[in-house]
Amino acid sequence: MRPEATTAQTIARRDPAVVMRLSRLGSFHQSRLSFMRILTRRMTRENWTFSRPVFAFDARGVGHAVYCAHTPDRTYSLIAFGHDLPPEDRSDRVIATRWDSTFTLFDGVPDAADIARLRKNIPLQEAGRVSAKELSVSRANRSVRLWDHVVSCLAAGEQPAQAEVDRVGYLMRTTAVYGSGKLGAADREMIADRPECAAPFQIEMLSVFLTRNYVRDLVQHMASLKGGAATVTLDAEIARSLGIGNSTGLGMAPFLINHPMLLNNWIAAREEAIAIVRNLPRANPAEAQTFRALLGRARVSAERWQSAHPLQINKLRQLRGDLRALADHVAQADLRTGHPWDRLYRWAEDTLGEDAQECLASLLMEPYGALVDPLADRMSDQNSAAFRIDGTMRVGELRAILARAYGWALDTDWTQQQHCARAWYVSAEKLEPRLGERFEEPIAPYEQPLAPGRDAAALAGALQSMDGDAPLAGFLLAHPEHRHSVRRAQIVARAPYAEIRDNTIGSELMPIDMLRCKLSFFGATHFDPRSDRWVRICMFGNAPYPEELAGTQADDWSYPPAHEAGA
Amino acid sequence: MSHSLNEIAAHAKRAARGAGLSWGMAEEAARATRWLAAHDLAGPALLCDVLARNDGLPHAQVAPVSLIGDWHARGGALCPLAAGATLNDCADRLADGRPVRMLSVSCPLLVVPFVAWAAIHLKAPVRVTYDNVRIDTDGDSIRIDDPHRQINVAKAATVTCQRTDAPIGTTQRPGLRGSVTPDIWARLDVFAQRTFAPATEASRLLGAGAGLSDND
Repeated sequence: MRPEATTAQTIARRDPAVVMRLSRLGSFHQSRLSFMRILTRRMTRENWTFSRPVFAFDARGVGHAVYCAHTPDRTYSLIAFGHDLPPEDRSDRVIATRWDSTFTLFDGVPDAADIARLRKNIPLQEAGRVSAKELSVSRANRSVRLWDHVVSCLAAGEQPAQAEVDRVGYLMRTTAVYGSGKLGAADREMIADRPECAAPFQIEMLSVFLTRNYVRDLVQHMASLKGGAATVTLDAEIARSLGIGNSTGLGMAPFLINHPMLLNNWIAAREEAIAIVRNLPRANPAEAQTFRALLGRARVSAERWQSAHPLQINKLRQLRGDLRALADHVAQADLRTGHPWDRLYRWAEDTLGEDAQECLASLLMEPYGALVDPLADRMSDQNSAAFRIDGTMRVGELRAILARAYGWALDTDWTQQQHCARAWYVSAEKLEPRLGERFEEPIAPYEQPLAPGRDAAALAGALQSMDGDAPLAGFLLAHPEHRHSVRRAQIVARAPYAEIRDNTIGSELMPIDMLRCKLSFFGATHFDPRSDRWVRICMFGNAPYPEELAGTQADDWSYPPAHEAGA
Repeated sequence: MSHSLNEIAAHAKRAARGAGLSWGMAEEAARATRWLAAHDLAGPALLCDVLARNDGLPHAQVAPVSLIGDWHARGGALCPLAAGATLNDCADRLADGRPVRMLSVSCPLLVVPFVAWAAIHLKAPVRVTYDNVRIDTDGDSIRIDDPHRQINVAKAATVTCQRTDAPIGTTQRPGLRGSVTPDIWARLDVFAQRTFAPATEASRLLGAGAGLSDND
């Protein structure tokens, strides 16, 4: 008898109608499939080496450094420019024009002419211009409070207080990391066939990884200039607990809607991973132990996660309580037989909130790297053919797709103001997406196509009078205003996780839900909303530094060490 | 100036939208412009010409009136974006070797990217003929039979699109950068600017979600 054979793969991937709601997307957690972890796994596996050919800064921190990452085939270099920024000019908002440090990731090793050229452009960020040799452009500001604390402590011969470090989590935070052709940089297509760039956002993640190294070196350098011989080296464990912050606003939210195929591929990979694990008929003791240990460490992470935002404070309170309940349950549950992970997931579905359910979903993948990690190869969007509209599709078939994928939207009364209270637009000021009040500001004429649900409902309305057997080509000729919705519907018919199945212009919309979804795929932790549309997060906290990668056994750095807090 | 292809597509999409195209058509215009630019052809300049020519005109006036017989616009010239997108929508019409003929088409080179995508769908090369120009494409590569002919004409009396069995042979593969003169970029920008909402103090504060100190 082979009981596995009869039960294998009977548990399907979760329904897009459940997964693609904003409250759930806004509860996602990092996982083995997060882009930071995909990168660090590759760096360890391929024995990347690192060097710092240039590091030249004066007492005010003005100067530049070059950090090189050597893959088996090529070299990437982070060029970091340090600036002397008066406090009144320090702003994380995208409308800022000066920063503490500015960066570019260079394809190869820059020569003196490259540095001279980039010195004129990188400090200007959006006002500058780069070339196809540059792969990303970014900037970062200090967390002044923690920076000053760490410099003073080290200069005085003491280590900074771990509690102070934990309160912020990073010494600098980036406020934008531009890639993929922005400001004249290389298009993603230029590097997409390199194995280390196959997964999404690997260039951006590498840039942040090297930035963290630069920040550690710079804070040490500034402390040494201040303290001279009395200065101590920053403790390795404290340094490791420090990540790079990131301050992100609305600019990131439309990305998920503007890249439906990519969104599908990210979510589908994660859902496939969850389904694979839930279909396992049994677990061995080592797998169960890995899960239990990482659940404990996930609880440490949740304890250290801080936010001043009322909504997030409530979410955190529930998450911590739910994770305690999960730990209690797991302490006595059978994790060995009878589809243990599926039973656990279904228990959580009935018992815990969405935040803890998604934390569990990510944790389930942890013992199964061999099954889960290869899914990373499916997360990019290589299918440009998805753009083409099939005009031979019959009206009736499109109607059925709309009913299936946009049912929630067809049931919404879009004439009600609260359902279309907001409008996404781009301001003339910084060419950045903004969200306005449709009925209070004169923005409707400038609205961006970021309300797929409303637009799908309008399309369904326009199709009502059409003959079900008519091909779409004729309809599209007469109704170009529905063309983008037809395209989306045909994409979602093939890619079920391509569409957020929720209202993206309602009065209740929390744009931070979209940000958290994207940031969780980056691998970010400690999501800290500063308003309903602006967040701070931490990247690469507890990650190994370049010289520590070789000694890293398990890919579990995204969970803080268990001994650091009373879990 | 050398631009990334993403920059060209983003600029073209905004310009097309600014000139009154629907979002779906603006997406097509952006892809077509990018495709031509990647083949070192005058995509951005031609887009500029078409947008200026049809500025604010309704789709119904510049799109094919009917898909039966030769395609023609209601009054003046066919818009190559509207005709091209429609051709790609029903690319299967080319499968059996019968041609699609379009009459009086402005900037006909802009039809070629759509034909290229139709060729990918058909898995067979398609030939575009206008004036004395003959262009073959299999979707990725392109062959212009005589590179000395003027292909950037403002208007062609007839554009014929037809499957071909001719091998593509020596061809022009797409590049990874595009070149756009500052003048063309600025002309597109005039259209693109129309899509941006004027900044107000309220939108500055509310729209981007500020409110808390971020210098800590």
